[in-house]
Amino acid sequence: VERLDNIPPDVLRQREAKWLDMLNSWDKWMAKKHKKVKLRCQKGIPPSLRGRAWLYLSGGKVKKEQNQGKFQELDSQPGDPKWLDVIERDLHRQFPFHEMFVARGGHGQQDLFRVLKAYTLHRPEEGYCQAQAPIAAVLLMHMPAEDAFWGLVQICEKYLPGYYSAGLEAIQLDGEILFALLKRVAPVAHRHLKKYKIDPILYMTEWFMCAFSRTLPWASVLRMWDMFFCEGVKIVFRVGLVLLKCMLGSQEKLKACQGQYETMELLRSIEPRYMQEAFLVQEVSPTHIHLSFGTCMH
Amino acid sequence: MSGGAELGFTEHLFKVLVIGDHKVGKTSFVKRYVKNQFYEELKTTIGVDFSMKVIDWDSHTRVRLQLWDIAGQERLRGLNRVFFKRSSGALVVYDMTNGSTLDGALNWKHELDSQVMLKNGRPIPAVLLANKCDETKVCRRNASLLEKLCQEKGFIGWFQTSAKENINVDEAAKFLVKHILQNNEESVKEEEQNMQINLKQQSKSNSTCC
Repeated sequence: VERLDNIPPDVLRQREAKWLDMLNSWDKWMAKKHKKVKLRCQKGIPPSLRGRAWLYLSGGKVKKEQNQGKFQELDSQPGDPKWLDVIERDLHRQFPFHEMFVARGGHGQQDLFRVLKAYTLHRPEEGYCQAQAPIAAVLLMHMPAEDAFWGLVQICEKYLPGYYSAGLEAIQLDGEILFALLKRVAPVAHRHLKKYKIDPILYMTEWFMCAFSRTLPWASVLRMWDMFFCEGVKIVFRVGLVLLKCMLGSQEKLKACQGQYETMELLRSIEPRYMQEAFLVQEVSPTHIHLSFGTCMH
Repeated sequence: MSGGAELGFTEHLFKVLVIGDHKVGKTSFVKRYVKNQFYEELKTTIGVDFSMKVIDWDSHTRVRLQLWDIAGQERLRGLNRVFFKRSSGALVVYDMTNGSTLDGALNWKHELDSQVMLKNGRPIPAVLLANKCDETKVCRRNASLLEKLCQEKGFIGWFQTSAKENINVDEAAKFLVKHILQNNEESVKEEEQNMQINLKQQSKSNSTCC
């Protein structure tokens, strides 16, 4: 598996041409050659086309076309002060070191405010959840506010439904599912987490609610999102399983973390090699996941 | 939650919750207390953050304090049930420059008491922190109000704190730890007494049946 920044320019140009071709006859590709699209997402979307590709893959483009003028309409409304207050307090707390969001009241923060506010008006019964802000911020790094809004709508409603709703039942349920899957994929890790009564909520909340955008190194976030937009939430599950398996998968590793706190500490500081772009892409691809995760055991 | 005693040396492990509305300065408080640092810009906490502070309490007692810094947004409270389990004490934080967060702190206290308690059924010790006191001052009337609130709502005390200027951070934590240690001692004594009662009852019942 190659790292995207190592790709020679002529190869990258070829890929861009392929992606442009796909984007230009998108419906045909999705209907007839979905496997090929999936494969190309696994290879990584060329950075210059990433925003567009995400919007197409997510169905945000269709939603936007079906609801022309909707974002502008929401954007022009004042919004519920209850939500505005919370959103405003969060604006400078998303990727504070990213140039786009660094300036208080700068364009990045303004757009973030507009997108999140628009969502609370779009789904007043849902309102705003703090975990939506990093999601919207990642989208805004790749597309204009209106597109980011529809991307957010798709993530909240199609990809991770219920994750941000009151009660947070969906995330708790997915925590249980993750834990059940872990039993099959990495019984040693499963037993250890069970022994120390470490509820999945303690380690997977931020991973899942933010789709790993606050956990992985940036290059990996982008590659995971390329696959996530194509294949859905299962990518998030797979990344979670790979990390758990790699960090807690052998008796030897567990020796160092005998206890609830020690284990959680370990899961907070995942070894960089397990989060590397090339490593993760390889481990997360479907041909790998059922195998014994050979590489991370050494 | 106490470790073994070796040559009269005891090590305790306590879990302390840091709770309160969002943006009142919970994470800043913890960072100041544990690392003695202050950051102007911190990421929002989603879920929970953990830190550990080791305190050499006296020549024969060491306390390991696990600080659980919990996301403050209302929406994320559905997860509190998981975070609150088996905690020994709490720092309930509000922002002095934002009055509504005091109501928030009282709600947090209420939720805390409904979910965790000591073995003897009493609430776990909780300290109320009036944070960001570098930006404003507690006037005398407020002070007596806070005093009254503490009694009504069952806080063991309150402090005005500033994570930014490092005011009362150690003091507040120390105050809480002192109470946790006292509770711990009491519950050990109670357990010993219960054991003795059990033994007596056993020997009684033994004697009657012979």
